[in-house]
Parts: sequence; structure tokens; C-alpha cells
Amino acid sequence: MSSSRDDFGIAIRSALLKKGAKQKFSLVFLLIIATIIFLLDTYQFKVIKFTKILINDGIYRLTNISTAPLRFLPIINNKITETTFALKQNKELKVELEKLKNKEFQVEFLKNQNDSLRKILESDVKIKGKSILAKVLIDKDSPYLKSIVINRGSKSGIIKGMPVVDGNYLVGKIVEVNYLSSRVLLLNDLNSRIPITFGKESIQAILSGKGETKPVLEYLPELYEPYGNQTVFTSGKDGVFLPGIPVGKTEMDELNVQVRLFSDPNQLSFVTVQLINLNKDNF
Amino acid sequence: MAIIYKNFRASVVNILPLLILYYLSISEIDTHFSNMFEILSFNLQIIIIYYWMLKNSSVLGNGHIFFAGILNDVVMGLPLGISSISYLTVSLVASYIRQVTVNISLFTDWFTFLLAIFFSNLVYLVLILNFTNLQISYVDVSYNAFFTFLFYPFIWTIFNFYQRIMILRNDD
Repeated sequence: MSSSRDDFGIAIRSALLKKGAKQKFSLVFLLIIATIIFLLDTYQFKVIKFTKILINDGIYRLTNISTAPLRFLPIINNKITETTFALKQNKELKVELEKLKNKEFQVEFLKNQNDSLRKILESDVKIKGKSILAKVLIDKDSPYLKSIVINRGSKSGIIKGMPVVDGNYLVGKIVEVNYLSSRVLLLNDLNSRIPITFGKESIQAILSGKGETKPVLEYLPELYEPYGNQTVFTSGKDGVFLPGIPVGKTEMDELNVQVRLFSDPNQLSFVTVQLINLNKDNF
Repeated sequence: MAIIYKNFRASVVNILPLLILYYLSISEIDTHFSNMFEILSFNLQIIIIYYWMLKNSSVLGNGHIFFAGILNDVVMGLPLGISSISYLTVSLVASYIRQVTVNISLFTDWFTFLLAIFFSNLVYLVLILNFTNLQISYVDVSYNAFFTFLFYPFIWTIFNFYQRIMILRNDD
């Protein structure tokens, strides 16, 4: 019994302290460093906060660049399909067809981009207040967190808590601000809670993310009998969001009232940040 | 010239698992396939760390694992250091298993990998729940752990094949 405990102790000690020929740090040293960094970050120490802002900006750009070639994969995939089809035709037709298709794709891509930018520009007129257009840098779909990173930060006047819209529709709010980039917490994230209003009776409720595509309504009135297809708007009760920003339509589930969001959180390429004056006491 | 080329080729082959680890940590490509199958997600980083720390710890190194964890935290928006601790826990389990095991087979690897996943997720959950305000879905974490465990033999086979190439290249 004593011998097996000794063996366990020796093996654990060796695993923690032993360094390989090319290794500079032991496992226990790195674990301690990681724990210190974690605690400094969790308790918002200024040193780590500024360091994190610098690291975030650098790494977000690097991520954007490193994944750029992969965004062309669907286009490459389409081209392979087209090429297979074209091989069945004669050589002249194949070359001609491929050229036309390429041009068509480029035109379609530019047209779609133009349309989406135009929509965003038009929507700025409809929603009151200053706003700033931002490009989505990273939309990594994590199993745990639903958020996006945009290419605007404190340099552009962005503050933590500002609402983010896609066209006229709310998509989330700013939760992390760096100098050149920011992170947006999407409405369907588990940590998202937004005060909303809907229906003729102006029913007040909280739109709560569940980590799935459709968030649900919570804190509904006790005697309220839910029914679907009602438009949900922000109530502005929290003093953060402007009242009346459309969010989605209600849908009935077995247990919950779900909200089908107007703006698909997985399809965001450009968003608009509402540059409203925020009272820091709200956060 | 031939020696330089040979050394370059060997170092490229040896560094590839490390590059994959860094690329997975820094890029948007992750192993979360909710678009295809709602519950399918697995953590390839953990598999890479466990396999290479068990078989050939000089390929990755704890410093790189620590740094890859930090990068992953920045990209995922998690508190800094949490992934590093989680990855280093996997590395610790792998190092311990390497110390106490003589005969390594797929079955023993797979079984002991369960311990690595358990401790890694335990550390992750304890830190998230006790030190942050983040909410996480236990169901998602469970599915992620389950599929990570399930896919281990497939990745093990691929890495085993790759390791043979590494040995051949080094012996050239």
C-alpha cells in the first residue's frame, strides 16, 4: 500500500518537475504562471487589462489574415463543380463558359456586397443617433460562447455596452473594447439578457439567450397567454438600448415563447454600432 | 547542401503537429459542426496535446502548449489563462501516464484519455463557475467531451501513421 503511494508520488513529481531536453520550463512553473494570469485577468488588474488590449488587437488581425484563404473554399468548391460540368462540353465552350461564370460570380459578389452596404447606410437614417459601420473580423462559432469580433474599437468611440444592429435589427451589444477591435455578445448567447416589449398591451419581458439559434422570453406576466407571430422590440428600460429597435418575431414552443431573430447571428458580415451616450453606472 | 535539405525536411515534419495546434488556436476553423449536426463538436487541441505528450513530448513542449492556450482564450473571448491551465492539465495527465505505463496500445491510450478529458473539463468548469460570471451549457460541454473521447481512435491512427513518417525521415 505504502509502496504504491510512493510510486504515485514519484510519477506525479516527475511529470510536474521534469523538463525535456529542449524544454525550458517545467509543467508546474507554467501551471503557476497560467493561474496567475487567469487571476489577474479575472480580477481586472490594470496591467493585464492594457496588455490584453494590445494582444487582442494583434491576434484578432492575425486570425483574420490566417483564415482569409479558407473563405475562398466555397468559391473554389463551386469552380471545381463547374469545371467537371464543363469538361463534358467541347473545349471552346468550356473556356467560354468558365470565363463567363467567373465574371458572373464576381458581379454577384460585388452586387450582394453593394446591396448589404446600401441597406446598412439606409438603416442609419432610420435609427436615431450617431452610428458607425463595422466589419465582422471573427465569427468563431464556439460551442460555449456566441460572439463576434468587429474591426472598430475605442479609437472609433466605441464603449462597452453599446447596442449593435444589423440594418435595423438588433444583434447584440459590445462586451469587450480594444483599441482597434471590439467583441459583440450576440442575443442568442447564454449570457445575453435584453429588456423587450411586444404586443398591443406593450408587455414587458426579458429576452434571454440559450446558446441556441432562438432566444426565449422570460419574466412574462403571470396571467399572460402567449401566442406567436408578434414583433418584439427593445423596451429601453435598462437605459442602454434605444427603445423600439426591432428584434424578432415570437414563436410558440412547448414550454417557452421563443423569438425568431430578424437578423441571423450566423450570417453577419457588416454591423452598425450605435454610438449612444452611456452612463458608466449601468455596467 | 544535402544535409541542410535533410535537416530542413526533418524539422518541417517534426514541427507540423505544433503548427496545427497553433493554427487551431488562432484561426476561426474549429471542430464545431453545429451547421451539419447540432450536437457535434470536439476539441482537437486536447487530442493533439494528449497524443504527442504521451508519444513524443519533444514535438510540442509545455511552453508552446501554454502559449497556444493563451491564444485560444483571446480568440474565444475567455478569461486569459483558462485554456492554458486546461491544456496543461491534459499534458500533466499524459506525462503521468507516460511515467507509469510500459506497454502502450490504442486501448490503454483511449482509456487513459478519458482521465485527461475529465480533469481538463473539471478544471475548466471549476474556474469558470467560481471565478467568472460566464454561464456555460453543461450539455454542450458534455457533448464536446463525449465526441472528443469518441474521435480519439481515428486521430490516434492518423497520428500513429504520421509518427512513422517522422521516424523514417529522421532515420534517412
